[in-house]
Amino acid sequence: MIGNFFDQFWSLTFGGLSLGFIYILIALGYTLVYGVLRMINFANSEIFMVGTFATVIVIRDLYKFTQSSEYATGFRLWLVLGTALIITMIISGLLSMVVELVAYRRLRRRNSGVLAPLISAIGVSMVLAESVRIMTDSRPVASPRAMEKSFIGKFFDADIRLDNTIIVIAALLLFFTLWNFINRTRLGKAIRAVSMNPSAAKLMGIDIDKIVSATFLIGGVMTGAAGFFYVLKYENTASSIGFELGIAAFTAAILGGIGNIKGAFFGGLALGLLETYASFFLGTQWKAVTVFIVLVMVLYTRPNGLFGESITQTRV
Amino acid sequence: MNKKLTTSLVFASVASLIFGVTTASTAQAAPKKITLAFQGPLTGEEAQVGQDEVAGVEYAIKLFNAKYKNKYQVLLVKADDQGAPDQAAKVAPGIASNAKIIGLIGAAYSGATIASLPYYKQRNLPMVSPSATRVSITDPAAGAIGFPVFHRVVVTDKVQGPSLFKLATKGVAGPKAFIVDDQSAYGVGLVDYMKPVIPAGQAVGYDSVSDKTTDWSATIAKVKTAGANVVIYTGYFPQAAPFFKQLRDSGYTGILAGGDGVLSPSFPTLAPAAVLEGVRLTAGTVPLAEISAKLEADFKKKMGKASGVYAAESIDAANVFLSCVAKGVSTRAAMLKCVKAYKGKSLTGSTIKFDINGDVAGGAMNGFEVRNGVIKFTGAIK
Amino acid sequence: MINIRDKGAQVWENSGRTGRVAIATLVIAVVASLPFMGGTILNTPIASYESVLVYPIAMFVLMAIGLNIVIGKSGLLDLGYVAFFAIGAYTMGLLGTKTGLNTWEILPIGIAMSMFAGLVLGVPALKLRGDYLAIITLGFGEIVRIVALNLGALGRSEGIIGIPTPPPVFGIEFSFDSHRIYYWTLLIMILLAIWMVRRLSARRAGRAWESIRQDEDVAELLGVPTFRYKIWAFVLGASVGGAAGVIYASKTLFIAPDNFTLQISILILACVVFGGMGNIWGVILGAVVLGYLPDRIRFLSEARLLVFGLVLVLMMNLRPDGLLPRKKREKAIKAKEAV
Repeated sequence: MIGNFFDQFWSLTFGGLSLGFIYILIALGYTLVYGVLRMINFANSEIFMVGTFATVIVIRDLYKFTQSSEYATGFRLWLVLGTALIITMIISGLLSMVVELVAYRRLRRRNSGVLAPLISAIGVSMVLAESVRIMTDSRPVASPRAMEKSFIGKFFDADIRLDNTIIVIAALLLFFTLWNFINRTRLGKAIRAVSMNPSAAKLMGIDIDKIVSATFLIGGVMTGAAGFFYVLKYENTASSIGFELGIAAFTAAILGGIGNIKGAFFGGLALGLLETYASFFLGTQWKAVTVFIVLVMVLYTRPNGLFGESITQTRV
Repeated sequence: MNKKLTTSLVFASVASLIFGVTTASTAQAAPKKITLAFQGPLTGEEAQVGQDEVAGVEYAIKLFNAKYKNKYQVLLVKADDQGAPDQAAKVAPGIASNAKIIGLIGAAYSGATIASLPYYKQRNLPMVSPSATRVSITDPAAGAIGFPVFHRVVVTDKVQGPSLFKLATKGVAGPKAFIVDDQSAYGVGLVDYMKPVIPAGQAVGYDSVSDKTTDWSATIAKVKTAGANVVIYTGYFPQAAPFFKQLRDSGYTGILAGGDGVLSPSFPTLAPAAVLEGVRLTAGTVPLAEISAKLEADFKKKMGKASGVYAAESIDAANVFLSCVAKGVSTRAAMLKCVKAYKGKSLTGSTIKFDINGDVAGGAMNGFEVRNGVIKFTGAIK
Repeated sequence: MINIRDKGAQVWENSGRTGRVAIATLVIAVVASLPFMGGTILNTPIASYESVLVYPIAMFVLMAIGLNIVIGKSGLLDLGYVAFFAIGAYTMGLLGTKTGLNTWEILPIGIAMSMFAGLVLGVPALKLRGDYLAIITLGFGEIVRIVALNLGALGRSEGIIGIPTPPPVFGIEFSFDSHRIYYWTLLIMILLAIWMVRRLSARRAGRAWESIRQDEDVAELLGVPTFRYKIWAFVLGASVGGAAGVIYASKTLFIAPDNFTLQISILILACVVFGGMGNIWGVILGAVVLGYLPDRIRFLSEARLLVFGLVLVLMMNLRPDGLLPRKKREKAIKAKEAV
């Protein structure tokens, strides 16, 4: 098995990495909201699910691709992918803001702890998942192939595929845009201020409602982008996919250190690789168990996750 | 519904309100009301299987009611068990104690069937399942947990497992099969029954993958290290399509095969035609469109959607009960006797009759292949 | 808005000993007679009313009381409560089919097993920051299911079939379809659990939990052995879940990993929060409503879970502290001082 592992090492690594980048983007949705509100945004997984459907609709219904149609090439390919990504990000971002309004705002104003919003977010995710399930007649939905999954090169024995490459590069770009946004812009600074100390931020004249709304928007946009990449890579979706990927991404966020975007980045990558290696080595059925044990060990030795800041810094 | 029928229905219901049921049934114009039930997942994650099946059942009942419109009117109670044993355990007592129901089409899932059976056995409610294929339900060695009320029109995993392996490796010189199950009782069962018939050295690897898996790269790496030229997936089509697609995209060129869980008209729509070309499938019966294009068109017209997985079995299961209703059966005891003695034709023309344990006797396994994005019947597997 | 909880508490506190006995007897009598109300508006379509009373309603109530010790009393967010339910059920399934032990003999073993699991999980998990407990417990709930799914001894996905029903007690037969008998058995267990929780809350443990819930760091500084009390809450909560699991397995006769999904954990958590975290009567009410609702609204068929989700969102927004919220201790003290 060890020998085989090295034969397949680079294939597995590339597979794990591109999955990891999808996790990163969803994990950002969790981590941003957690940073600002100290709450698990349970509905984020369904925002991702709606995002995948938005992409499918753009590719299938707007551009009329079918399972047997020609692949797009050149400029048209970039046009299709670009519009699908942007529309998906907008839809998911707006939906995320609506979720905040419906599930969180009133409860936050009344200062009603962590659990009531958690349950109302669970309610919202049930509503989203069930509505889509009824609309799709409970069937999985495939996205027609808009882009040829061609090999663009080889790295040792592993094929490098175009779609995976696009995912990695685009996700990196998105991540660094977000990084700069959070660290350089006024709004980003305001978000950081609220996440460090909401009451002090309020005293400094920051409109908390606006910042929370903006955080959900950005989290939703990132999660939506994950939905787009997911469809690009796997070309199918269903009303029930949110839950599984949501839990995985949430685990990634915690593994890296929740509330901090660097943590989401390394947590996502670590989880993608860990899942893939563990599935190969120990059998796919023990994947979740391995992830769990590693998570407990990491949290036990580093109580704030791999990249979490110390408690004194993050806590008020 | 035409006007005349509506009027007579109104009269019938008014009459039965005033004079009670006996008077209504003796009245010439009033059709006799018979209630059947369907049990399967209608909401939740597994809903699509149940929704497809219930459409088949409703289609059969629609045809029956139209044919016997002055004599019988069959009503259907739809019981949603979400395909889950815990839900089934609370639905079953309700169905069992509803004396109006004289026959149950279902349960769709084996786990739900096992959880429901104690209640149906106690109240003597005959069942005909279109899709519960778990061997232990009818196996006397496992305690015959389904006897006497349980019947099924679908052959069990015990028959399908070996057939699937045979079909998958047919015509392959030096087959090296890699077999993947979806961790469900169905998928694991198929593999268990397949194992004894696999000649030494022909199985090069196994994997057991959760049915919620979206990324298959680890399994694909295993397939490649094993050097397999035949990959068999025992699970359902929503996972089979992405798995096969990712496998092909990674450069695998060997044979792909799956069981009746994959045989859904939706399956070819989930991946590019080129990717799924040549996928081999097994099943007890045949998709409606394959039986006749006219049948599928009629189904679509009447039900407003294309037929789905287990559509033919659902229609067959409903027809077992309906033919008994046509013979004048109106109690559970008579229905059970009638089902036990039933001998009729399935949609595909094969004979349906049940053995003492409730298994369909002499059900054949058929082979299929995906060609140009359509599932084509390739003949019975011998 | 009328505060039902305060009204109820007032009536209780203003009654003498005989008054209290009378109220309790009346309430228990009404609850115990619920199985006879099948013909009324309470009846559930399709699903059998009496079996809905047993599972989910009574079972959810019992589990919600157990989870409330963990969440409501000591403020620990447990998202994997189903694990203890599963451990109890599998202990019953395994021992019931493989050994000659009967349900009543297995019950303490099942409780001990789930308490042990609570300890094994709790010791590392409770040393972590509170926020992480959610994901650790969530993971643990899934692990238990996955282990059951993959171990041949536990029947893998086929589960365990043919679990025996309990032997008769005082001549009362436990047949799988005598829902009422199971309902009353669970009712007795619920009463025992309520009694246990009330006793503990009034004593040292209750005060320790309350202080942990309000501010763990301060509690620690004041000399409360917080870790030990957190473990206690966790293990006690687990024991109730395990007891529910044992009874569940010997009622359904068949268990499979599908019965123990994460959804159950989330539902029980919803019962606790929806009803009113920390207040045992609220928690019970929440479990009754959420256990009952999905089966009562079956006529909505397809849209059932959608409506259920909407109810959760609406209710949490309108009554964020739950239907019957916990007593505001501070308020009560102030009121007393004013008098």
